[in-house]
Amino acid sequence: MRRAYLEYANRDVDGVHDMGGMDGFGPVLEPGGEVAYTERWEPRVFAIHMVEELEDLGAGPGARAVREEMPAADYLAASYYQRWLFSVERRLERSGVIAPGEVEEMVRRLAQGEAAPTHRDAAMTKRIQARMATVHPIDPPPDTVRFAPGQRVRVKRMDPAGHTRCPRYVRGVVGVVETVRGADRLPDRATYGLETPREPVYSVAFASRELWGPSDEGVWTVALDLWESYLEAP
Amino acid sequence: MSHEHHDHHHPRPASAVELRAQALEALLAERGLVSTDAVDAVVTLYEQDVGPQNGAKVVARAWVDDAYRERLLTNANAAIAELGFGGIEGDNMIVVANTAGVHNMIVCTLCSCYPWPVLGLPPTWYKSSPYRARAVSEPRSVLSEFGVTLDDDVEIRIWDSSAEVRYLVLPMRPSGTEGWTQTELEAIITRDCMIGTALPTARESAAA
Repeated sequence: MRRAYLEYANRDVDGVHDMGGMDGFGPVLEPGGEVAYTERWEPRVFAIHMVEELEDLGAGPGARAVREEMPAADYLAASYYQRWLFSVERRLERSGVIAPGEVEEMVRRLAQGEAAPTHRDAAMTKRIQARMATVHPIDPPPDTVRFAPGQRVRVKRMDPAGHTRCPRYVRGVVGVVETVRGADRLPDRATYGLETPREPVYSVAFASRELWGPSDEGVWTVALDLWESYLEAP
Repeated sequence: MSHEHHDHHHPRPASAVELRAQALEALLAERGLVSTDAVDAVVTLYEQDVGPQNGAKVVARAWVDDAYRERLLTNANAAIAELGFGGIEGDNMIVVANTAGVHNMIVCTLCSCYPWPVLGLPPTWYKSSPYRARAVSEPRSVLSEFGVTLDDDVEIRIWDSSAEVRYLVLPMRPSGTEGWTQTELEAIITRDCMIGTALPTARESAAA
């Protein structure tokens, strides 16, 4: 199992999903954009993803990391829930629950008029409903942390060789710690099933001038929650 | 709202991705690994029970009850749970309050992180490339698309949901709503007000 995770750990996913600050995507508001989805298969893929996660049916890197493995052009071409379909399929393949070609085979069977099989498991449904309604907060911060509120920090200039939750647009930039959110495992390692201790997560505020230079829009503030491993003294 | 029901009412031929999604669900059902009822239940949860109506109750309560507002801003998880809300993707809630001098707006530039228990599933625009790209680098331009213009001296604070913290904006109670009931107030607290891309106004309510 551990080896199966590591296989993906060096995948370069400093990808197109990391969109903060990019230009050229056009307007935010487009027709149809007000709703969460428009087609019935979309929330069902979302729900299958939830069941896969909560029933531990998948394996390998977490769903976000898997979606980030999509080639950039495919990622941009895919609709939102198409990306989720991609990640749930890959995770189910990596656990051995489905084999390549089996989804295509079922597509053929359904196209030939076969009724779609259904499955009733009341206990599973109850488990899922209970879990959907449960919160699992991150740990409180340790008593002593490296950076204190009010302190200036610099985000490390880096090029992680895999999943990260440190967007490119803050790397190398100096901000100010506002608060310590808690302690959580570093996703860069945890998503690959690698051991990693819980470490402080800081809310760090960045001045727009530090991020983007002068702007016609004046100044604003962007705050991110960043793991201690991403930060250094300025 | 059964699965079978949806399969028989296509106004157009099913797309390749739709057929693939149906096939995956069918395959997992055939293997006995995914309960069709569980899938139905998750879909129904966000279509009927969990959505911005929950967040609106939180905000309206904060508008009429200063002690609740204080609890909400200091321990959002607990204050939201007081109203019976909470769940997955709301594990670490932070509520950020708009004031005369500060306007808050939430985004997830890396994916689509969003406070499901209080807002439901995010609208397509929230998950879109342009919003994820521009919210952090040209917020006033984005706000103008939503018809929101802020005074130049208002500080805009963008919260990029880069870790497991999920944000909810507490908008300012608009003038002209004095004496309104909580239910009347809830009606003007839209989803976008709680993302930070809209401002509540008294005139949108039937009570006005």
